[in-house]
Amino acid sequence: MNQKVMTRNVAEAVLNPPEAPVMSGGDVLRVLNLVKTYRTGFWRKPQPALKGVSFLVPRGEVFALLGHNGAGKTTTMKCILNLVHPDAGEIEIFGTGHRRWQSRARIGYLPEAPYFYDHLTGRELLDFYARLFGMPRADRQQRITELLAQVNMADHADIRLGKYSKGMLQRIGLAQALLNRPELLILDEPMTGLDPLGRREVRDLLTVLKRGGTTILLSTHIVPDVEALADRVGILKQGLLHSIHDMSRGSAATYFEVTLGQMPHGAIADVVRGCRCLPAGSRHPGAIVQVPDLDRLARLLAWCSDLGAEVQAVHTPQTSLEEVFLEALGAGSGREANKSC
Amino acid sequence: MLNQGKAVAMNTFRETVRDRIFYIVGIFGLILIGSSAVLSPLTIGAQGKIVADVGLSSMSLFGLLVVLLVGSSMLRKELEKRTLTTILTKPITRGQYLCGKFCGLTVTLLCMLLVMSLVFLVIMLVCRVTPHPRFLAAFYLTFLELTLINAAVVLFSTFVSPTLAAVFTLCLFVIGHLSESVMNFGLVMGSAWQAQISKIVYYLIPNLEVFNIRGAVVHGQPVAFSHLILATLYCLVYVLLFMLLASVIFARKELR
Repeated sequence: MNQKVMTRNVAEAVLNPPEAPVMSGGDVLRVLNLVKTYRTGFWRKPQPALKGVSFLVPRGEVFALLGHNGAGKTTTMKCILNLVHPDAGEIEIFGTGHRRWQSRARIGYLPEAPYFYDHLTGRELLDFYARLFGMPRADRQQRITELLAQVNMADHADIRLGKYSKGMLQRIGLAQALLNRPELLILDEPMTGLDPLGRREVRDLLTVLKRGGTTILLSTHIVPDVEALADRVGILKQGLLHSIHDMSRGSAATYFEVTLGQMPHGAIADVVRGCRCLPAGSRHPGAIVQVPDLDRLARLLAWCSDLGAEVQAVHTPQTSLEEVFLEALGAGSGREANKSC
Repeated sequence: MLNQGKAVAMNTFRETVRDRIFYIVGIFGLILIGSSAVLSPLTIGAQGKIVADVGLSSMSLFGLLVVLLVGSSMLRKELEKRTLTTILTKPITRGQYLCGKFCGLTVTLLCMLLVMSLVFLVIMLVCRVTPHPRFLAAFYLTFLELTLINAAVVLFSTFVSPTLAAVFTLCLFVIGHLSESVMNFGLVMGSAWQAQISKIVYYLIPNLEVFNIRGAVVHGQPVAFSHLILATLYCLVYVLLFMLLASVIFARKELR
């Protein structure tokens, strides 16, 4: 078995397969087979951005899209928000088509590296956006004061945005996304430009929103942020949703690791498909076999028993999300040597 | 529905008023209107006409400059700075947004024309020219013409760069003032197809001479009230047409 196939097998085992997105009453967002190809330059050269992305976000869930730059995170969000028109696929928000502008009254959005009008102050900007939601004057003023305090911008509210730092713009951007008390909050790289304290504050704020029942779709390439906030993580790779991972099952899905006393004769892979065999170490003559599920574990143990191979240990190590992410990107999991047994 | 468009219009007005270009153009306009007081003694016996002619033409010219300089880049600036991305994720349609931008700039033009006409009035009083109510009609029609040009620049800016939008608008302005001549030229040439083409051009491109009563006003000729009503309707039809077309094009635009 070559390394590529083995890597895919481990990824399949470690991660949960993407679910078939069938929308139920409690779902806020459904994305089905989203395809988008940009055409650039004079010759309209096609640049595929999304190649069939599907996922479902139930009410109250924090769903994170994780992927490297250019994986398709922002395009997915822009398709959902009708800023970019997909070539194929379906998007439903609150049970209706995403093109209905009325549904946007229930959505909050923070773009990546947000830009706002330089000629306005922070307060004026929030007032402008609040008007777009049709909020009455008294409500606007109250909500703006509340949000400015929440994102720690009350002291800078009357300074023009042209003089704001990147982090301050990010905070005011978050405030504008929360103006309408959104049921669905879409955040594109919300931690960009924030210092460690700012990141922690935003993370705390999002945790409060999550507890309050707000559904959050966020994109990032910062794994610790995802681990701290997300209920489920979709890993995007080259326009495809590589896998969806449930964070409630631990920091990542588990698999079984079987330590054998010596390198077995014969190919384990032929007996138990989907296993991965690694040398235990330079001072250890044995091998470590990664087994994705109980059924295959039973078959492996039976095979070892038949061969008389010594099984030294069986345990279920945790795989960090970072490892899973790197594995998905094809950058390796940290264990250097892969060997077909 | 209206509140969202109003919010965009108010923001556009605020943005334009805080823009340096607006002041530079405005100040030059005021200087030119003021210079009519200096030029008028050169024409003995026709001082009043010079003051009125230079004043009214300056209003039209500097209004056009504001439309070209501010209007043509208004949309592209929002696209490039990505401020539009956040706005269009709020409950507002693209058509409402465009109408808001258009109304915001129209209100700015109105304010600019009001300031210019106040200065114009002062200059007229200083030069001992009696202001006639006909000047109000000229002022009103100049505003209508600029409103129509403003709708045209919004339309062009939805599908071409600011420079091209400004060039197209300027071409429309020039051809618009010559459209009657184009029609007459086609009819004089004699052949049926030439007459047909000139007719198409005449009806496709707004006849901006409808809004030009400066000559009549300066020379003290009467202006029929019905002309003002018809000019208003004419302007409204073209503005609606241009804005509708702009909304259709803009709805298909992708905000990458």
